[in-house]
Amino acid sequence: MGTTASQLGKDLLSEYQELTFLTKQEILLAHKRYTELLLKEDLAKDLSSIRVPMAKILTLPELKSNPFRQRICRVFSTSGLNDGSLSFEDFLDLLSAFSDSATMEIKSHYAFRIFDFDDDGTLDSSDLRNLVNCLTGETNDTRLTNEEMRQLIKNILEESDIDKDGTVNLSEFQHVISRSPDFVSSFKIVL
Amino acid sequence: MVKELVDMSTRERIHAIRDLPMSFEEKKSIRSQVLAFKSANQSPHFTGFRDFTENASVTLRRWGYSVRSARQTLQLWQGTMKEIGGRFGTSVLTYFMFLKWLLVFNVVSFLINFGFITIPLLVHDHTPNLPPNVNFRGLEILTGAGYFNYTVMYYGSYSNETLVGLGEYNLQLAYFFTISLYMVLCGVALIFSMAKSFKENYVLSDPASSSAWQILCSWDFSIVNERAITQRKNNLSVQLKESLSEGAQTEMLTRSEKMKHFGIHLGSWLLSTSLAFGCGSGIYFLCQTTDDSSWTPLQEAETLLVPFVVSLMNLVVPLFYSLFNKFEVYSNQRKQIYVLLVRNVILKISILSILCYYWMQVVAKKFSCWESMVGQALYRLVLFDFLFLMLGSFFGEFLRKWLLPNLGVPEFDVARNVFELIYAQTLVWIGIYFSPLLPVIQILKCFIFFYVKKVSLAQNCQPPRRTGRAAQMQTILIALLFFPSFVGALSIVAYTAWSLTPSKQCGPFRGLNNTFGAVGIWIDNLQQSSSSYWVIWIYHHVIRSEVFYFFLALIVIIIIYIFWQVTQGRKQLIVQLRQQIVN
Repeated sequence: MGTTASQLGKDLLSEYQELTFLTKQEILLAHKRYTELLLKEDLAKDLSSIRVPMAKILTLPELKSNPFRQRICRVFSTSGLNDGSLSFEDFLDLLSAFSDSATMEIKSHYAFRIFDFDDDGTLDSSDLRNLVNCLTGETNDTRLTNEEMRQLIKNILEESDIDKDGTVNLSEFQHVISRSPDFVSSFKIVL
Repeated sequence: MVKELVDMSTRERIHAIRDLPMSFEEKKSIRSQVLAFKSANQSPHFTGFRDFTENASVTLRRWGYSVRSARQTLQLWQGTMKEIGGRFGTSVLTYFMFLKWLLVFNVVSFLINFGFITIPLLVHDHTPNLPPNVNFRGLEILTGAGYFNYTVMYYGSYSNETLVGLGEYNLQLAYFFTISLYMVLCGVALIFSMAKSFKENYVLSDPASSSAWQILCSWDFSIVNERAITQRKNNLSVQLKESLSEGAQTEMLTRSEKMKHFGIHLGSWLLSTSLAFGCGSGIYFLCQTTDDSSWTPLQEAETLLVPFVVSLMNLVVPLFYSLFNKFEVYSNQRKQIYVLLVRNVILKISILSILCYYWMQVVAKKFSCWESMVGQALYRLVLFDFLFLMLGSFFGEFLRKWLLPNLGVPEFDVARNVFELIYAQTLVWIGIYFSPLLPVIQILKCFIFFYVKKVSLAQNCQPPRRTGRAAQMQTILIALLFFPSFVGALSIVAYTAWSLTPSKQCGPFRGLNNTFGAVGIWIDNLQQSSSSYWVIWIYHHVIRSEVFYFFLALIVIIIIYIFWQVTQGRKQLIVQLRQQIVN
């Protein structure tokens, strides 16, 4: 392509606009924030070959305190090493899925993958347990007891598991999401 | 899948590829496959035309993108709203979005009124015809009378002539049609947003108390502030523990407890409705006693008493309602909010209807230029409402933090604040007929309010503890905006235009029997000059005939019935399908 990391060509920009839900402003802002995370020597390299490690991505203020930050990086990373490092296109993918104009299907698909802690394609009890612990905090008095956790997971499966197989698969998850109109506006990260 | 994508048009293909939940690389490869397939299969004929259409569509799409980006940069207050969303979540953000939406309504109204009514008058005759002795004193800003009475602020200064300048411009018709056009636009906009909001947020949604919703859908990713996130986690944990412990002890209330609860509910309802009616009658008596038209400064200051008392009631009585609410027991929190909302609506409706009754029946028959008087009264109400809301915000939020810190940090009550906005907008809608430039004040109010509430929020409040259903609340509030507020204001204006005699010495409709008579005269003129037959035909056979409206209502009712039956059928289908999946 020939573009270095410090500038974005017009063709590339229009390709990004076509393939993601972001506007030109948002893509340029993303580019600016991404290049701020790069080391000095990376700026001269080709943009498509750089990957920013997960630790650096997590210094972004929008992701710093998010309880799902590591899962988000792992889900959107296309690196073969599964280490959560993001290239610029992965970063744009992330912002596109979390943008204002992304559809409910995209958001629910990625939410499902984020909540699926063991990456096995369904939300079973251990995934749900991890999810509840992420959401309720780490201190001892906010954590749910084992009994409460068991009851909670039983309630969730009762309400959302339609085919009664003990796990929540993608369609069942999307069914729950589709009945909650707030989801689209709360599944949002804007730079 | 590549085959399907090839068959689509370019725009659909772009949308379809964007919607694929795959990584960027995979989307790019699919896109290049599709493009390669397309160019391999293209026939050599008509390449020139196809290239031209391709280029045209590419330029159109690029133009669409730039319009979208431009719209995003021009959006008012974008940065502030993102900040607020980041700290307090989306439900508090709905208040500010509602504020912005109302601002748009008022700006449109101001532009329409100013453009079509005020500017022609100013161009024609820009000196207000003041009687001698009347100068601008400071008191006018509060009372709206005096000097303002003779400016274009009120109905009274608009003339009923046909201005002859570049062409003929009938001010009477202009006034009538401008106000009706604005009301129709508002009505249409409200109906559309209410229907859209209803479909998305109400019909298809889940009860908020279900565990699945709380865990899977309720986390707000847009909150960025660390303390807010920790707080939310704590709140969620508390909520979960509460709901789990409630579910564990499925308590059956004894009969005497049920009777007690019922008695308390009945008692508070009786108290609140009687309080509302008491306020209404108090206002009526007050109006009657301060009812002089002599213009000594003391009497003018007395006219400020009514709006002062109205705003005081609007501030104090809802506090009583919250107090009653604390004694009552509700099965879920949403019911509690709705009951509070209904009681406040009853209070405001009773006060406003007493005031309107007084204006329509007493003021209209007593004074010579009564529309301007009503306009002044509304101006005072709007102004005092603004002052009291600022005071309430100051005392409720700022001072409370400093003087009474042991009461805890106040929560930002979205429902109450939006309700106050709706009340203010109702006043403006009633007042548009009597004082065409009243939206200006509302615009200023919205602006100042945005910044005051933003500062107050940042300094003093904490995010709402219960992550409620913001979307559902938004639907209810929009419906509230439409039904009591807009329809009420519209019916009052319609009643004025239809039945009340305009004043004889001032205003654009002087000398007519009622406002609608202006249209009648116009139609007669058209008939005499025997041109535009279709306008006359529409007037006589559509607008003035009752049969037309009867048939329209009948058709609408039949369509509603058919849709209702379809919905019932679909509900049954869902139950059947669920059974099939389990088995």
